[in-house]
Amino acid sequence: MEFRVLCRYKKLWNINLQLRPSLIAAIMKDSGNQPPALLPRKAQYLQNDIRLLGQQIQVPIQFPKDFFSVILEKGSLSAMRFLTAVNLEHPKMLEKVSRELWMRVWSRDEDISEPKSILAAAEKAGMSTEQAQGLLEKISTPKVKNELRDTTNAACKYGAFGLPVTVAHLDGQTHMLFGSDRMELLAHLLGEKWMGPVPPAINAKI
Amino acid sequence: MTPAPRTLELFYDVLSPYSWLGFEVLCRYKKLWNINLQLRPSLIAAIMKDSGNQPPALLPRKAQYLQNDIRLLGQQIQVPIQFPKDFFSVILEKGSLSAMRFLTAVNLEHPKMLEKVSRELWMRVWSRAAEKAGMSTEQAQGLLEKISTPKVKNELRDTTNAACKYGAFGLPVTVAHLDGQTHMLFGSDRMELLAHLLGEKWMGPVPPAINAKI
Repeated sequence: MEFRVLCRYKKLWNINLQLRPSLIAAIMKDSGNQPPALLPRKAQYLQNDIRLLGQQIQVPIQFPKDFFSVILEKGSLSAMRFLTAVNLEHPKMLEKVSRELWMRVWSRDEDISEPKSILAAAEKAGMSTEQAQGLLEKISTPKVKNELRDTTNAACKYGAFGLPVTVAHLDGQTHMLFGSDRMELLAHLLGEKWMGPVPPAINAKI
Repeated sequence: MTPAPRTLELFYDVLSPYSWLGFEVLCRYKKLWNINLQLRPSLIAAIMKDSGNQPPALLPRKAQYLQNDIRLLGQQIQVPIQFPKDFFSVILEKGSLSAMRFLTAVNLEHPKMLEKVSRELWMRVWSRAAEKAGMSTEQAQGLLEKISTPKVKNELRDTTNAACKYGAFGLPVTVAHLDGQTHMLFGSDRMELLAHLLGEKWMGPVPPAINAKI
């Protein structure tokens, strides 16, 4: 949801949005934190929170039926390595491919752990089968593994204990903001106007 | 003809800085939105225990994060909030039992004073405008003698249990009663979502002080 809102605002605010694919499981482990869903009342709360926010923010988000299996067993290692490879070789495709992977797991309750699932997402985003296949073959190379590890470590260095994390670089200062619910605060720090999570699609640049 | 105001219950504890932020925003909006704001003094320590949760500050990276988050939100929301020097002593050792029993007693006997007294207690714990961070032992003792009646203890327990029944695992919790539905929102950062659910206008955490009622 954070991603969606920031993608809307990158055309409206004077910002350079850098997407940094990371591994939440590693951040949890490194910080000593646990997925909130492991606490029963938080798991209960999350389902409603996500549903209501999805309506307000206009993102078609739906909890997978077998949530624990998706999140805690299958994980996202291949998907995040794939996005890392996309970022290294075809960075302009990163936004679209990321969105398609979210749509699979968090809107249509589809798998993202198997190669054919990842290929399907990449193709839906507009990649050719050859391009996508080529990237898929690279996901277990040291270059891609290290890049994902380095990006995840960078998040940890900024103090991350979960995701999403937005790091704003302003006037020599660095502000780390956790969660999808600090966008209005971000606007305040940037000196930009907050127009809600669904801003009018006005082109601010002439 | 104006429709009936919607009831919002705000469960809070003065030990919780995010509760203060949520409280101030809702107090500003109660004059602007068609709502009936009911303040529900509760005990966060009991909610943590009942839900199996832990104070976030016990995780080092969260403790680090909290300090900046509270400072920045305080600036944005215009609440003079500052971390107490000896944060762990204030939060984890001293706690807020006396203070929340006191507010419970205020709510039972002088409910119109509840907002102001709550604010003053937050100012003592969470703002350096106060002489000391937290309450002195004598003050706490004096209050305990006044408010350890079964009536007050039970009222605080009942209110805290009500929060737990709504699914609380921390504070603040805002419960909105709308069109026969109940929405429990956790945190001080769900006010814009609340506006959306109420069909009201969100004007940021510091709305213009326009009197919406003629």
